Amino acid sequence: MNDGKPQVVIVPCSGIGKAFGSVAREAGYELCDELRPNTTRLVALSKLVLGDEQARERVRRCPAITIDGCKLMCAAKLVKHNGGTVAREVAVLDAYRQHKELKPDGIAELNAEGKQLARVLAEEIAEVVDDLGRDASGGGNHA
Amino acid sequence: MPSLPERKVGIVACSGEELAEGTVTRLAALKVLHEIRRGETVTICLPLFLAGGEGDRAFAKFHPTITVDGCARKCAAHGTETYSGKPAASIVVGEIAAEHGIAGIEGRRCLNPAGQKAVDLTAERLAALVDQLLGKEERPDAGASVETPAASSDSAVVGCSCGSGIPVKVLTIAGQSVEVVALPLIFDKLREARRVPSEAVAQDLLEMVKVYNYVCPETEASWREVLVREFAAYCERELSR
Repeated sequence: MNDGKPQVVIVPCSGIGKAFGSVAREAGYELCDELRPNTTRLVALSKLVLGDEQARERVRRCPAITIDGCKLMCAAKLVKHNGGTVAREVAVLDAYRQHKELKPDGIAELNAEGKQLARVLAEEIAEVVDDLGRDASGGGNHA
Repeated sequence: MPSLPERKVGIVACSGEELAEGTVTRLAALKVLHEIRRGETVTICLPLFLAGGEGDRAFAKFHPTITVDGCARKCAAHGTETYSGKPAASIVVGEIAAEHGIAGIEGRRCLNPAGQKAVDLTAERLAALVDQLLGKEERPDAGASVETPAASSDSAVVGCSCGSGIPVKVLTIAGQSVEVVALPLIFDKLREARRVPSEAVAQDLLEMVKVYNYVCPETEASWREVLVREFAAYCERELSR
């Protein structure tokens, strides 16, 4: 908790084979480092693969937003696998369908369009984070 | 015996999003995959061992695999061993950085110079291990020991990280349900070589299957019987197409 606001856990996928995975990761950083640093917390997906107790506790205690780069939705599946609640499953492909002009390219280094797509995605998710905060504030102590 | 496609080394990075060292693992793996050992290496997203299918979990049984972790938790190494197969080698960025006196790796989104140096050194270490596993040892100073896994012969190309696509067939052998890694590929190769179901093929099949799968010596006769029967069924299906 920060300033009485609930922490929302952000879990991007670890996609390493396609640019969409890099967009997911970049969107996670944009959200957690720049847009909502006080109300979000990034959790590494690899910890959930391992079943790290601290990471499991975090996704069980806080609402999670997952950002996945492909249809296999690893991040969403692993949050659920570890007993967490996915408040919103975000798919980079859906965002791209809505912003066809922002075609991501590059995995190690995203192109400008990919970074812009990540920014757009992060802004959309920031609104979801705010909504979750409002819901939690209005609904008592639930996080 | 027909040969399977060219052997490649698997690389699994933890990609840990929380730490700069996680970014180092990812960039080092990508450098090896796309630049310095392009065509000799393949990868898979670590979470697919849990979120994917049987073909994904077969990854480390099929490819001799090197894991690269950002921290001492070793999520990639432990995750790979638990859900896929024992890695042939495992490295940790922090250990490589310490060996070279690199401190202050920062910038999980955009690495600082120390992080970039760590990427280069980690990629070099990975490449040396790839060379060892492929028997192309050009770098005698490769720092980690390599265990040659059971799955050590030729292997098939694995596509993108969104599903490794390693074919697996489930058979009932000696009363047990068994996932046989790479069997469809082996059938394809035997058919390409114009082999037909026979006693000789049954033994060849078993030898090829044993490259990627553990076969209990006491059950080898059952394996031979089932494998040749499945191969006959496969050939009939292919003929009727």
